Amino acid sequence: MFNYTFLSLLLLLVVGQQTAVGQAKGEVFPYKINQTQLPNGLNVVTVPYNSPGLAAFYIVVRVGSREEVEAGKSGFAHFFEHMMFRGTDQYSKEAYSNALKGIGASANANTWWDRTVYHMTGNAGMLDKMFELEADRFMNLKYSQADFKVEAGAVKGEYTKNYASPAMQLYEKTYDTAFENHTYKHTTIGFWDDVVDMPNQYEYSLEFYKRFYRPEYSTIIVVGDVTPERVNALAKQYFGQWERGDYQPQIPAEPEQTQTRYAHVQNPNFPPSLSLNFKGPAFSIDQKDKAALDLFAAIAFSQKSPIYKKLVVEEQKVRNIGAYGLDTRDPGLFSISTSLLKAEDMDYVKGEIERVIEQYKNQPADAKLLQEAKSRMRYSFAMDLDSPDNIANALSQVTWLTGNPADINRLFQLYEQVGPQDIQNAVRKYLVSQKLTIGTIAPAADSPFKS
Amino acid sequence: MKNITIYLAGLLLLIGFGRQAQAQEVIELPMPESPSVVVKLAFRNGSITDPVGKEGLTNLTAQLLTQTGNSTLTKSQIDDILYPWAAAYWSFTDKEMSTLTFEVHRDHLDQFYEIFRGVLLNPSFAEADFTRVKSNVTNFVEQVIKSSSDEDYSKMTLEAMLYKGTNYQHMKWGSSQGLAAITLEDVKNHYRSFFTRNNVKIGITGNYPKQFLARLKADINQLPNTKPVLPKPAAPATPDGIRVQMVAKPQSLGTAIYTGYPLSINRASKDWPAMLIVNSYLGEHRKSYSRLYQLIREQRSMNYGDYTYIEWYESGGSNMLPTTGFPRSSNYFSIWIRPVQSAYSLQSQYPEMKELKVGHAHFALRLALDEIERVKNQGLTKEEFELTKQFLRSYMKLYTQTPERRLGFMLDSKFYGLNDYIAEMDKALERLSLQEVNAAAKKHLQTENMWVSMIVDADEAEALKESLLKNSPSPMTYSQAVQESLPQEVLQHDKRIEGKKLNVKEVTIIKPEQTFVAGRDK
Repeated sequence: MFNYTFLSLLLLLVVGQQTAVGQAKGEVFPYKINQTQLPNGLNVVTVPYNSPGLAAFYIVVRVGSREEVEAGKSGFAHFFEHMMFRGTDQYSKEAYSNALKGIGASANANTWWDRTVYHMTGNAGMLDKMFELEADRFMNLKYSQADFKVEAGAVKGEYTKNYASPAMQLYEKTYDTAFENHTYKHTTIGFWDDVVDMPNQYEYSLEFYKRFYRPEYSTIIVVGDVTPERVNALAKQYFGQWERGDYQPQIPAEPEQTQTRYAHVQNPNFPPSLSLNFKGPAFSIDQKDKAALDLFAAIAFSQKSPIYKKLVVEEQKVRNIGAYGLDTRDPGLFSISTSLLKAEDMDYVKGEIERVIEQYKNQPADAKLLQEAKSRMRYSFAMDLDSPDNIANALSQVTWLTGNPADINRLFQLYEQVGPQDIQNAVRKYLVSQKLTIGTIAPAADSPFKS
Repeated sequence: MKNITIYLAGLLLLIGFGRQAQAQEVIELPMPESPSVVVKLAFRNGSITDPVGKEGLTNLTAQLLTQTGNSTLTKSQIDDILYPWAAAYWSFTDKEMSTLTFEVHRDHLDQFYEIFRGVLLNPSFAEADFTRVKSNVTNFVEQVIKSSSDEDYSKMTLEAMLYKGTNYQHMKWGSSQGLAAITLEDVKNHYRSFFTRNNVKIGITGNYPKQFLARLKADINQLPNTKPVLPKPAAPATPDGIRVQMVAKPQSLGTAIYTGYPLSINRASKDWPAMLIVNSYLGEHRKSYSRLYQLIREQRSMNYGDYTYIEWYESGGSNMLPTTGFPRSSNYFSIWIRPVQSAYSLQSQYPEMKELKVGHAHFALRLALDEIERVKNQGLTKEEFELTKQFLRSYMKLYTQTPERRLGFMLDSKFYGLNDYIAEMDKALERLSLQEVNAAAKKHLQTENMWVSMIVDADEAEALKESLLKNSPSPMTYSQAVQESLPQEVLQHDKRIEGKKLNVKEVTIIKPEQTFVAGRDK
C-alpha cells in the first residue's frame, strides 16, 4: 500500500510540473496534457484538441504477455482482451454489441508485450455512453463458460492466419530462442499448445480478471472535442467505485546469455532473411542506453547510412535493411534485419553488418548525423499528431511503459541529451556476440551460421 | 512606386497561373492549425493502362518516379537531404488511378518542394534505380504475395478469376512475364504518355501559403502535354454456377477463402446507399456486430473474422478504416472468410479427428452463403435497418479523421462525379427507407453464380474438391470442450447447414507457381 501511495504522490508531482510547462518551447508534445488520479488509483488524462464533434477514448491496461508468468498460460492477456467483448449482467453480449453499434465508433482493442489497449473513436457527444459501456465491462464483466470456450477458437483462428507467414514463424522462434526464463520468451498470441488448451482455462480467466483489470493498472486517455472537467466528472461517476486490487506479478528474471544462439525457418519460397537480435536495454526515460540504441539504429541503418547505400542501392544484394529496439518494460531485443536477394550472400551481408557495429564500437558517432536523427524523430512525431486517434495512440505508448503519458516530453529530452559517446558505450555494451540470437529464413534445413 | 510594381507583377502572375490552372481541377482544404502540408496528385491512369504483355508498367512507373533522382540529385542524395525533416513522398497505384502524395512539415515546405518538383518534372529514371525497383516488385509478385498472407493471396487470385482475360485481371504489381518484359524505355514512355497535365487532379491540405498553391499549379502545367487515351475499364464476368479455384500449399494450418460475383453499381449509383446498409449489416469490415462475424466467429469460433464488401478494400488485414486512391468503375460483391482450420491442423490438435479428411472450409462456405441467401429473401427488420443506418451515419465520418484521408476521399469523390462522398452518403442514408434497402438486397445479392478462391493445404485439396463437387455433407467438427457448451440452436443450425446444396459446377486445383505468370489469360 505504501508503494502505491508514494507512486501516486510522485505522479501528481510530475503531472503538476508537466501541465505547467506543457506548451513551453522545446517540448515535443504540443498540446496540454491534463491529468488527474482518482482515489482508487485510476489515472485520467484529457487532451483537448480541435476536432469538432470527435473524440478518441482509450483505456490502457498495463498487462500484456509479460505478465503471463504461469506455465501453460501463454497468450492469456490477449485471449482475455477477446473475452472483454463477451458481456455483463447489464449488457449481454448481444446488447453490448448493439450498444457499440449504436455509438457508431471505431472501437477495438489490442494486446502486446506489456499492455492491453481498448480504444473507441467516435462522436464526442456519445462520450457519456462510451464511459458507461467501458466502466461496466471493466468492473462487471461476466461471461458464461460456454462463451469462454467458444471464444478460444477465435484466438486459434488468429494464430492460424498469422502462422501462414514465414516471417511470423521466425519472429516466434527468435523470442523463444533468445529468452529462457523471462515471459518475453513467448509472443503475445502464445504458444500453439497453450492456445489449443485455452478452452480449459475458465477458472484461470476469472483470476486473471481479478488480478489485472483494476484501476491501479489502468489509464483513461481522452483526446478531442472534450474538456478535462467533463472527462474527470465522467470518470468519477462511472469508474469511481472501481476497487483497487493488490496483485503484483513476479516476472522471472532472464539469466545472462553467454553465447550466440540460432533461430531458423526453412522455406525455399520466401525471400531469404537475416536478423541479428541482441539482448538490449529496457525502455527508460532516465537511463540513456535505450535512447542511444534508438539513435544508433536511426543513423547506422537508415536510408542515409553507408551500409544502406552500399547493400541496397549500389550492390543490390539486399532489398531492405533496418534496425530497431522494441520499447519494452523489461530488457528486450535490439534487432538488425534485412531481406536478401540470394541466400548465398548471407555470410557476406552478416559480415557487412558486423563491420558497422565494430565501427561504432571503435569511434564515437558523427555528431552532425546524430543531430539530424534527432531532428527526424521530432518532426516525424510532430507530423503524426494529426487526429484525436493518433494523439491518443501516441500517448498510450508511453503510458504503458511508464504509467505517465506526460513522460513523452521527457523521452524526447533524453534523446536530446544522447551524445556520440553514449552511442559508442551502448553499442559496446549490448551488441556483443554473447548476447546475440541469429534469425534466418533460407531454403536450407539448418541455420547457415550454426556450426 | 515599388509597391505598385509588385502589385502589378503579382496580378500578372495570378492571371497567368489562373489561366494555366484551368487545365486541372484543384481541391483545397486549408488547415492553418496543422503542422504540415499534404499534397496529392491523382492521375487518371492505373493498371488498366498497362499494355498487354507489360503488366505492372503503370505501378512500376509511379514507384520508380518516387524512387529515383532528378536532374541534379540522385535518389541517395535526396534521401540525405530529406532525412532530418522526416519529409516523404510516395506513390499508390490501383486499377484506374495513380496517386503521388507528399507530406512535409511547414518548416521545410519550400526546400522540400524544390526537390519534389525536380523529381516530378525531370525524373532521372536511372538504370540502377530501375533495376532495383523492378527486382523488388518482381520478388513481391513471385514470392512475397504467395507466401506472406494466404488471405491477401486468395483475394488477388479471386480478382484474377473475376476479370480473367481483361485489363482488370492482373494485380497492379503485374505478372512475372509482364514485369520481365518491361524495359527502362517503356517506363520513360509511359511516364510521358500517362503522367501528364491532362489527366491529373491536384489536392492540397494543411498549413500552406496561397502563393505555394499558385506555384504548384504552374509546375503541374509543365508536365507532359500528352492527352492519354484511357482504355475502357473491364466488367467482371458472371460465372455459370459456383466455380472454385484452390491453390494448394503444403502443411497449411488454415484454409483462406474469398468469394465474389459482379456488382453493377458504384458509389454514384442510386442503389449504393442501400447496399452500404446491406453490406454493413452482413459484414462490416473488422466489426463484431455484423451477421457473418456473429455466425462464423462469435457463435462458432471458426476463425478470426468474416466480412463482406461491395467495393475494393485496401489492405484489409492491417486497415481498420478504409483508405483512398482506388476509385473503380467496376465492382464486385465479395465475402472474406478468414482462414478456418484445415484437416491437417485439426488432426494434429485432437486425437478424435485423426481420420478427418476435410477441415472447416466447406462448412464455412455453406454457412456464409446461407446467410446471404436469408438476407436476400427476408431482408432486414426495421430495428436492424435503423441500427445499421445509425451506425453508418456516425461511422463513415470517421473515414476522414486526418487531413490526408479527407483529401483522399474528396479526390476519389470527383472520380465518381460526386463532390463529397462522405457528406452525400450521410444525406442519402438519412433519407433511405427499409423498403429501398430490402429491394436492393433482393436485387444485388445472390449465391448461385460466383467465383470462389481458396488457399488450401495440399493434402486436403482433392478431398475438399470432391466434397464440394458432390455436395457431400460437411458436419462441423468442434473440440469436445466447445461442443459441450454450444447451445442447441447452434447445433441445429449446423445440422441444416452441413447438407446445404451449393451450385458448385467446377473445382480446379493449381500450384502457387501457376499464379500471376501471364497478364491476360484467354
